[in-house]
Amino acid sequence: MKIVRLLLDSLYKIPVVNKAEPLIEAIDAALFGTTDTTQRGPHIVDAIDTKRYMSCAIAALLPATLASIYFYGLRAILIIAVSYMAGFFVEFMFAVVYKHKIHEGFLVTGLIFPLVLPPTTPLWVVAVGVMFGVLFGKEMFGGTGRNIFNPALVGRLFITIAFPAIMTISWLMPITDATFTDKWLTPFGDTAITDAITAATPLAVYKTTKVVASFPDLLTGNTAGSMGETCRIAIIIGGLFLMFTKAGNWRIPVSYIGSVFVFAAIGNYFLPDSIAPPGFQLFAGGLMFGAFFMATDPVTSPFTCAGKYTFGIMCGVLTVLIRSFSGYVEGVMFSIVIMNALAPLIDHIVLSLKYRPVKV
Amino acid sequence: MIPKYKAFPRGYEFKNFEGQPEGKLIQIKIPAGVTIPLRQGFGNEVTPVVEPGQRVAAGQIIGRDDESVSSPVHSSVNGKIAKIGKIDYLGREVGAITIESDGTGDWQKLQGCSSDWQGLSAEKIGELIYLSGAGASGRAGIPTEFNSSVIAPAEVENVIIQGVGSEVHNLSPDVLLKGEGLSHFIEGLKILKKVMAGARFHLVLNKSQKSLINEVSQLLPTDNLINFFTVTPKYPVDHDEVLTPLLLGGKFPHGYSVANIGVVVLDIQAVLHVYEAVAEGKSLIERTVALCGPGFREKLHVKLRLGSPLEHVIRDNVDADKKLRLVLNSCLTGQRLSDLSLPVDRTFTTVTALLEENESQFLAFARPGFRRDSYSRTCLSSLFKKNSKMFQKTCGTNVHGELRPCIFCTFCEEVCPVSIIPHLLFQHVERDVIDENLLRYKIFDCIECNLCSYVCPSKIPVAEFIKKGKSGLISEGFEIPAPDTALKGLEKYKSVE
Repeated sequence: MKIVRLLLDSLYKIPVVNKAEPLIEAIDAALFGTTDTTQRGPHIVDAIDTKRYMSCAIAALLPATLASIYFYGLRAILIIAVSYMAGFFVEFMFAVVYKHKIHEGFLVTGLIFPLVLPPTTPLWVVAVGVMFGVLFGKEMFGGTGRNIFNPALVGRLFITIAFPAIMTISWLMPITDATFTDKWLTPFGDTAITDAITAATPLAVYKTTKVVASFPDLLTGNTAGSMGETCRIAIIIGGLFLMFTKAGNWRIPVSYIGSVFVFAAIGNYFLPDSIAPPGFQLFAGGLMFGAFFMATDPVTSPFTCAGKYTFGIMCGVLTVLIRSFSGYVEGVMFSIVIMNALAPLIDHIVLSLKYRPVKV
Repeated sequence: MIPKYKAFPRGYEFKNFEGQPEGKLIQIKIPAGVTIPLRQGFGNEVTPVVEPGQRVAAGQIIGRDDESVSSPVHSSVNGKIAKIGKIDYLGREVGAITIESDGTGDWQKLQGCSSDWQGLSAEKIGELIYLSGAGASGRAGIPTEFNSSVIAPAEVENVIIQGVGSEVHNLSPDVLLKGEGLSHFIEGLKILKKVMAGARFHLVLNKSQKSLINEVSQLLPTDNLINFFTVTPKYPVDHDEVLTPLLLGGKFPHGYSVANIGVVVLDIQAVLHVYEAVAEGKSLIERTVALCGPGFREKLHVKLRLGSPLEHVIRDNVDADKKLRLVLNSCLTGQRLSDLSLPVDRTFTTVTALLEENESQFLAFARPGFRRDSYSRTCLSSLFKKNSKMFQKTCGTNVHGELRPCIFCTFCEEVCPVSIIPHLLFQHVERDVIDENLLRYKIFDCIECNLCSYVCPSKIPVAEFIKKGKSGLISEGFEIPAPDTALKGLEKYKSVE
């Protein structure tokens, strides 16, 4: 430990290396914590900081991450690694140029983004997507805390529109029967990919054939879909952990998932041809993942309680509408991005109803 | 009488912190010299009525001013006046009288006191309370026919006696009410009832102190003249601004004191002081203070003469090699006691010795946090029992993280005891937007309990920014919004600095 300390201290002083001061500082702060003490009141403060907060979000994502690695092997690990490296590069360059600190929020973005990608996504597309997301989804607005849209979703949206062929057509079933070599040792996992069975996602299947996937398959992840969104059991476990540690507010997932269920139930009763049954809607597609991990992003969702419920309900309504009546089979991403844009407005309306203007 | 439970939905309960004072009470020996500030507790500074060199007895009045709102101050020892001067006391300059003690422990009785106080008139009881100095208790004094509070006894509508203790460390009511203490306390209540005959009385205790609640409910007069409540000790439920609306309904007149709406809030010790003054003729020369926090060798309660230098009180109880921070009354809002030569006055309830944690901890953010407190459940300590002996939470002064932009986690909003949105006010003040929007978001409702700064994961001193916003508004000529109800004793309230 002392050696690491000495090494860090000397890194601050080496002329060229210390251009990377934000990085050294970030490592220093992560390893050794702070020596600062409280000044005026309060004399003692809560043990939480943003590192711990974000670590909890990452811990909550772990079950889904492990499931994706189990399903797609080396490929999943590569995609996650590329996402972290490319995204970190942008974050780091901004920190150097604008001389601010590296913020922890990126650690979550860098993991959420690969988990919502199809496992067949080429690595260079992963890199382009995450760089676009961090650059235009976050840094352009002034960094963590000031962004309007969820950076991972901005990246995902960009590559969905820029590379529709990659993003909407080639889905894979989990590679459960590939040989050990195919799954874990083949460079870039390409053999495994070509040998694996491609299939449509349950929502796409429903749209064309009106066949509902079986619930055990949906729950355990035995369906085609994005890497991290298929194993719903893992997502629910992670999501409950997130709510428990208060790193994500429970109001949004509850109102989001609840409104999808209610709205799909009503819609399915009156328009059974276009709106899928509610139980299926809950467990298909990216709803669970989106509701627990992307809609709950505190920065891009409303901060008022009433606003959070409104946000969740409107996300749910939009999701069902897009799934049922648009050319896309999935609506979670679009509905959260649309509602991200409306979040400041929702807060504004809630605040103006709650607090009357004062006469001066 | 069975107490009624009052739920307080906000705030935050500090559970199981290390350094709670034990139930032990020791008497600190009389110091060689005491310094008596001429302003102690509620009221204006009083004028000295003694000369240097004059001999005084313990309990003798050495400063009083019957014209302005104030209570007399007393010599707490037998001895000789050494000096009358000024000291810098807890952030303000006040006059102070230094007395050399002769070491004897007896004290002068107040004239007219009687253990059979029922025979005394309400005016006489009021006079005894005033002369004893107990009238300076609470945030706005105890009303008597004299100028000890901003309102007269007849104007009091409600009296709240509280022994909740919602701070990180609290003085234990068990210590105060041990033995005869409890019956004295009940007598004290009756005495106060005689002075403020028109008022309704409310007693509120900490829900977790079951044995005390049992004893009190058996002893309380059964004539329904007193309402008995219990609350969960969620900080800051025992602050006047929160407790009064919780028990009585209505709105607190922010910017004023409870006395302005005809309410008197007192703690248990103040009631005991009243009893001692009226029944035993003892002036306010002694007080029980809890020494708590990990910095003290022994965490206990001490009974000390007012005016004793802090150094005299804690000397035998601290290790010289530890870096300590002494904090008065509250880890959240208390002042730092850096000058140990300063005297202990009537406002001292707890002195907390915190360890200065200015050393870094390896991988602090990833540690499980068995002994760290967090509002969020990101520390494992949240899984343990409320009074787990093995995993008592540490309390040091480290900030545990780097300053970051606000991420709108809404922790501050969830805990805020007065239902304002601290981070929203912070956003405005940080950008220097000091305008009527701050009034609209009720910045003046803030009671400066500092809980928002405590819970912030981004380590933003939110409460500091709100204070800055308030003073900014006032310097721009905005006024604190006037409360809806008519206020009492405004002139007198404004006369107290």
